[in-house]
Amino acid sequence: MERRQYLLKKIGWSLFTILFVLVLNFFLFRILPGDPARAGVKDPRLKKEAIEAIQVRFGLDKPVVNCFESLNPVKLGSCTVNPLETQFFIYVGNLLRGELGISYHTNRPVAAILAERLWNTILLIGAGQILSIIVGVILGIFAAWKARTAIDYGALLTSLLAWSLPTFWLGIILLFWGSANGLPIGGKATPGSSTLPPVQQWTDIFQHMLLPTLTYTIVYMGEYTLIMRSSLLDVLAEDYILTAKAKGLSTFQILKDHALKNAMLPLVTVIAINLGFTVAGALQIEAVFSWPGLGGAIYESVVRRDYPVLQGAFLLIAVAVILANLIADLTYSYLDPRVQSE
Amino acid sequence: MQAIAESSKPKTQSTSPLLTFWRTFRRNPMALVGLTMLIIILLLAVFARQLAPYDVTSSANVSTADIYNPPGGAHLLGTDDAGKDVLSNFFFGARISLIVGFFAAFISVFIGGVIGIVAGFYGGRIENILMRFTDIMLVIPDLPLMVVIVALTKPSLINIIFVIGLLGWTTTARIVRSQTLAVKSRKFVLRARAIGAGNFHIILHHILPLVMPLLVVNAILVISLAILNESALSFIGLGDPTALSWGQMLNYAFGRGAMSAGAWWALVVPGLGIVWVVLALTLLGHGLEQVLNPRLEFHHLEPGRPVVQSEARQPVARAEDGRPILLEVQNLSVDYVTAGKPPARAVENVSFQLREGELMGLVGESGCGKTTLMLALLRLLPPAGQIVGGKVWFMGRDLTAMDETELQTVRWNGISIVFQGAMNAFNPVRTIGDQIFEAIQKHTPILPEDKIEDRVSELLELVGISAEHKAHFPHQYSGGMRQRAMIAMALACNPSVVIADEPTTALDVMIQAQILELLDSLRKKLGLSIIFVTHDLGVVAEMCDSVLVMYGGVTAEYASVDTIYNAPRHPYTQELLKAFPDLSKLDKRLASIPGYPPRLDQLPPGCRFAPRCPQALERCHTQPPALHRLEGTHVASCHLLDG
Amino acid sequence: MTNMDYFLEVRDLKKYFQAGRPGWFSKSTRLVHAVDDISLQLQRGEVIALVGESGCGKSTLALTLMGLEKPTAGQIIFEGEDITHADESQLKTLRQRIQMVFQDPYESLNPTQSIEEIVGEPLVVHDLGLSPAERRERVVRALEDAGLKPADIYMRRFPHELSGGQRQRVVIAGALVLEPHLLLADEPVSMLDVSIRAEILNLLADLRKSRQISIIFITHDLGTVGYFADRIAVMYLGRIVETGAMREVLESPQHPYTRALLSVIPVPNPRLRRERVILQGETPNPIDLPSGCRFHPRCPVAIERCKQEDPPYVRLSATHQTACWLVKEA
Repeated sequence: MERRQYLLKKIGWSLFTILFVLVLNFFLFRILPGDPARAGVKDPRLKKEAIEAIQVRFGLDKPVVNCFESLNPVKLGSCTVNPLETQFFIYVGNLLRGELGISYHTNRPVAAILAERLWNTILLIGAGQILSIIVGVILGIFAAWKARTAIDYGALLTSLLAWSLPTFWLGIILLFWGSANGLPIGGKATPGSSTLPPVQQWTDIFQHMLLPTLTYTIVYMGEYTLIMRSSLLDVLAEDYILTAKAKGLSTFQILKDHALKNAMLPLVTVIAINLGFTVAGALQIEAVFSWPGLGGAIYESVVRRDYPVLQGAFLLIAVAVILANLIADLTYSYLDPRVQSE
Repeated sequence: MQAIAESSKPKTQSTSPLLTFWRTFRRNPMALVGLTMLIIILLLAVFARQLAPYDVTSSANVSTADIYNPPGGAHLLGTDDAGKDVLSNFFFGARISLIVGFFAAFISVFIGGVIGIVAGFYGGRIENILMRFTDIMLVIPDLPLMVVIVALTKPSLINIIFVIGLLGWTTTARIVRSQTLAVKSRKFVLRARAIGAGNFHIILHHILPLVMPLLVVNAILVISLAILNESALSFIGLGDPTALSWGQMLNYAFGRGAMSAGAWWALVVPGLGIVWVVLALTLLGHGLEQVLNPRLEFHHLEPGRPVVQSEARQPVARAEDGRPILLEVQNLSVDYVTAGKPPARAVENVSFQLREGELMGLVGESGCGKTTLMLALLRLLPPAGQIVGGKVWFMGRDLTAMDETELQTVRWNGISIVFQGAMNAFNPVRTIGDQIFEAIQKHTPILPEDKIEDRVSELLELVGISAEHKAHFPHQYSGGMRQRAMIAMALACNPSVVIADEPTTALDVMIQAQILELLDSLRKKLGLSIIFVTHDLGVVAEMCDSVLVMYGGVTAEYASVDTIYNAPRHPYTQELLKAFPDLSKLDKRLASIPGYPPRLDQLPPGCRFAPRCPQALERCHTQPPALHRLEGTHVASCHLLDG
Repeated sequence: MTNMDYFLEVRDLKKYFQAGRPGWFSKSTRLVHAVDDISLQLQRGEVIALVGESGCGKSTLALTLMGLEKPTAGQIIFEGEDITHADESQLKTLRQRIQMVFQDPYESLNPTQSIEEIVGEPLVVHDLGLSPAERRERVVRALEDAGLKPADIYMRRFPHELSGGQRQRVVIAGALVLEPHLLLADEPVSMLDVSIRAEILNLLADLRKSRQISIIFITHDLGTVGYFADRIAVMYLGRIVETGAMREVLESPQHPYTRALLSVIPVPNPRLRRERVILQGETPNPIDLPSGCRFHPRCPVAIERCKQEDPPYVRLSATHQTACWLVKEA
């Protein structure tokens, strides 16, 4: 029963956080001077139909929220407005219908644009995360096991250096070197490659993924090495390791059966917390390598001042991270028997 | 009232925490390198105007021919997309990046620190609200949010500083809160309350000084993150166009064809600047963390030191009464070796014999070496420990001469240990049953699994725990139950000798009685020999056949229990007995021994007990006493027994 | 007997805690009965030992008497004043008269403060209008009374430079500097080496004589109280099960729990093999209390009545009383 309560609590909390992000997203784009809807209305690039569509969709003629005509807090409006007729609820309603607005730049629905890109980002982050976790964990284990030897110092310095590299800069350097050595200079696939047979298509994508994934791996493996090393060092100094040794177990057995599981637990938490930061990395990498993902969408929409896309991409990324955090939390609670209820 | 003996006066040099910190800091290579790197770049930034060969603010003397000139000649590091000198821009760029980093970090750390201390200290609803808010902000991805906010507002330097600052406090808040909670629960805070101190006084004098070190380490980390964030924002095009930070330099270079022009200098140099600063801060931060929060100096899987082999004296197979001798320790000496200091002798020349079925008590106070002695028997010493003399004979085999593989067959199988404070002696994430299973399987691998499971249940029942508990985790057991489970596990492989290291020290007196009774009955039932390590003379009197009294690493006295209690010859044993309360003799006044046990690195020349001994002679202070053989197995090391 | 007869009088004191943490929407209804109806009296200059195992509530009692926990019910009357519901400022002045000595000399001292700062802190907190020189004078006196002579060498030291025994003396000095009338010593020697314990106990005994301080000495180690206490109160699960003059309780214990405890305390005499009454099981948790006499599940001589009714106190002499159905009034 306690476990179920715990799960419900965590899920409920995630939903609340998503709600918070929705509200934040809405108000950010209304409060801040670069209000997209209104700016868009004035944007000469938009066609007349689009402007009208925006007005309807965003309800720009309606009050923002109950009691407030606009965001000017001094100018109160009527408090008896049907809440469903306010901009905020129109916004929420739109979201629930999967309606994220229309891109200023391409006039396509934002939702459609981002849907394609979501998977590209997941592909990139997925591959990068897996690799950096594997490399980081292995390096961290060796560093801790052989503490205070050359292996340890080497691993430590490498990780600290890797961590200190700005993601986008590493990407630039690798791109520079890569383009001089025949690797593609950006994008996910060579134009026209969709006509090729699947194997060759995937090889092509693989070639394009190589450098961005490498950048991602180098930057994040540093952090994982450090966490794993630190966590394993703590575990290996615990009393139960001495007990295991006294029982006659070999070093390998002790590492395998006693140390690693305990040491990995904090790593799960860190991976979860890190997800927010890895998105920041993805943003930079996609910008440098022109990778068609959500991060790239954010980058391009900033450059082009395409606010609907920016708003939509931010929302999507935030929700994805919140959900990933939830999954990590729940996984942790299954792994650690000490977690019963908060 | 007796004044404190000379040997216990503190050294004349005071070591304030600040001084201790500086000394440790000086010896940490990471921290020093980081600090040096940081100082260098700070100096470059401060003296940018003096160091820069060109004035980068004016466009005079710049033409299109100057764009992307390679390094060399007039420009040491080449020119950028606007024809300006890269080196000069580098120095000025340092200023921007560092200013943004430090100011934004200052805002973050301040907010995070206040939130953390308030949440941690006041608890309750306030803590709940603040921490929930922090969790939300932690989950929302930083950089995208920063991008959104800066994109919607003006990309000015002040703006960027505020945005980075106002979004960067979450890690600080969490760390400060958990540290505040940890400090708040420490006894000296309770004491402060008990003397009447108010909240403000406690926060100022007790919480803050202990949270500060961690806060400083975190602040350094936050500065580095702020610098990385600023450069990322600038690279994306959201930097202040009037302030040419390193990130901004990279933005222009990347966006204005540096790659296709092959102008690697415009891309590498600003980036290296960022790497230099962030690496400096990272090294400094990690070094500081090691200094302020030092970990234990070793872990249990580090390779140990080789045994210094000595000449073997054949072990005695049988005692005078005919009983076989299972364990014989001959003149064992153990050192602790640390680099840069002379070795500390933790155990010196200790000998004893353990007969079949005998229960020997090993008595001594803190620092007497009893735990070291026990660990040495099974070669479980920490990496700094080294057996430098003597032998350990177990059933005719020399444990000091075995290699690790051979030792693994003797451990637990022949000799097992019941550790003290069973809280962490068990792995908290594995079931008790599992951990007992593991021991059995290791030493009898041919036994089928179900048979092993049966044996696990049998063992638990033997110590009074119902078998259903084997699927439970250590934290689900009470303290007394855990100690019993530890005993069950120690018996799993039918050892001949069990070492019980202070098994009841942390337990209530009734639970202690239960455990002692259990041990005694098991001993009789299974024919075990037990070495019982303790400081409690009452327990030893109740249970033991023989007693080894240790002081300062040496044998003070070794005899049958009756002799020790009724005819002790060593002054330490005599004084210890006088200091131990005896409910059967209420009229006795409790004596104390002035001073305190010697530290391993400050052993007195001569007899270790001489500084505190009421019967000390002249030579006791200069010459170590010999071990005198009295009747039977009774030995004592004291000059009073000379001739 | 009026209130003024007693230096300290505790009447029917109760302190309950909520079990488990309250959530946003739920309140826990389970209570931890840490201190459940305690009454005792103390004269000026008297030493009473509160003895019991973990979970019996002795530490909670001490914290409640100090005002660090608010009583759930009952009364505390100190030097004629009812201090049960003392507010912040009353508590503060009270602290000048009641002080506490803690168990762990390694944790009771702030490692970043010098000895002078630690011992002088109470003077700073209470702002008695002393000049820095006067404050220093009092710190020196307190340190020397606690046996740290000459005080000068200790003033500028830090806790990590002192031994366990010395640190405990610093804690005592810090408690003495305000010249309190009552000292609550919570396991003051259990973390010290055996050879050092007597020093500290003798120090407390001497202080009692020289300064006429009353002491409530809390311990689980019955062995140490014999040398020191005038009276003993044995606690079990939040109640006092037996109380009396020290000799009376130690030489003719009446309550089955006291008898069991005394019988299992190891005596350093191998020739004395006594009949030990080893109770089975562990002290039940103070949330789900047994019915009737709370000791009955573990009591070796419990009868039917013990399961149903809670026994009242029975007087055995002017000073000795206990609560057990099997003990008759003298």
